[in-house]
Amino acid sequence: MSEDASENKGAADSLQSFQSMNINDGDQENNQKSDKQKIDILLKPTGNAPIMKKKKWTVEGDKPISWIAEFMKRYMKLEPQEKLFLYVNQTFAPSPDQIMKNLYDCYSTEGKLVLHYCKTPAWG
Amino acid sequence: MANDREILREVWEGKLPISFQLDPDEVVELQQPDPFYLMVPRLSYFPLVTDKVRKHFLRYVANDKQDREMWLEYDGQPMKWHYPIGVLYDLLITSDDQLPWNITVHFDKFPENQIYKFSNKETVESYFMACLKEADVLKHRGQIASNMQKKDHNQLWLGLQNDKFDQFWAVNRKLMEVSQEQEHFKYIPFKCYLDDGYRQKLIKPVDEDGRRKTLQDLINEMFPGKNVVIKTHGMIPPLETPLQWMSEHLSYPDNFLHLCVQT
Repeated sequence: MSEDASENKGAADSLQSFQSMNINDGDQENNQKSDKQKIDILLKPTGNAPIMKKKKWTVEGDKPISWIAEFMKRYMKLEPQEKLFLYVNQTFAPSPDQIMKNLYDCYSTEGKLVLHYCKTPAWG
Repeated sequence: MANDREILREVWEGKLPISFQLDPDEVVELQQPDPFYLMVPRLSYFPLVTDKVRKHFLRYVANDKQDREMWLEYDGQPMKWHYPIGVLYDLLITSDDQLPWNITVHFDKFPENQIYKFSNKETVESYFMACLKEADVLKHRGQIASNMQKKDHNQLWLGLQNDKFDQFWAVNRKLMEVSQEQEHFKYIPFKCYLDDGYRQKLIKPVDEDGRRKTLQDLINEMFPGKNVVIKTHGMIPPLETPLQWMSEHLSYPDNFLHLCVQT
């Protein structure tokens, strides 16, 4: 298993740079009103990730994963070149353009969406 | 599981003729380059099929732009490389009279605030595998993908990258299997594309009475009270098509149904 993880590392690194890239397409006003719904998220560190003092956040449903990742990097004062990986269900890394509402609708438990984060790839 | 194997092959073999042209403003040679024509698989991703396009145009652009990331544009819009090619076509093109698909190639002014950069094919691979795992979470609680070996993952990726149907499906059929006690997936992995992105929800392939749900049921759950037309793989599937069958036969290689919504 650990061998597999190191084999995957290159690919996972690329994914990360992709995941944390923020795209502000400027036409978020066009989004459906339902996406403005507030989503409760719970951020859980894993591996060597720094702990965030505030774990529970409320975000707008139309915010993409890339926005959350950038926000967390700023909050934890990570260097711009440091990497942050976000996972859903401790299984997969959602696409950077995936919005919170979609993730909440599919993967929330007990009214909130749990996102695990780490600085090295956790679940290839 | 998939008995209608010829349908899987038909879908796999879907191709689009594309004429790539370098943006005339980026040409530094006296002579304009010829367009570059390619038949590309609908199921693939642009970064996997455009190496030759890049090579063809490279010597026509300024030296200092040659190692920049190439990007593609259609009708003023930068193309999202992380959408499958067939999805981009179904979203952007309304009529097949417009073939070949005219796409403009750029090396300059990468629109970083509109599309993602990909540094190499590994970026596409890790993105693709993440989609596949998500689909398996929806279908089988993620148990099949996570129990696979690294070589199975490689085989899926190489099958897609090299356009090898048998190689890909030898592994993918495991992801499309249903258990003996339950003859369907837990949920159907799908994305419904609208003008401003895509929507996902949990939709089961059967209702409480065990009746097989159809595309019409999906539309009713996603867009209550609205009249919408769903397009995928360049066709409009009949509304009575069962969702379980669609998921097994019309999913893209990432194991998601990519449904373009026309209102």
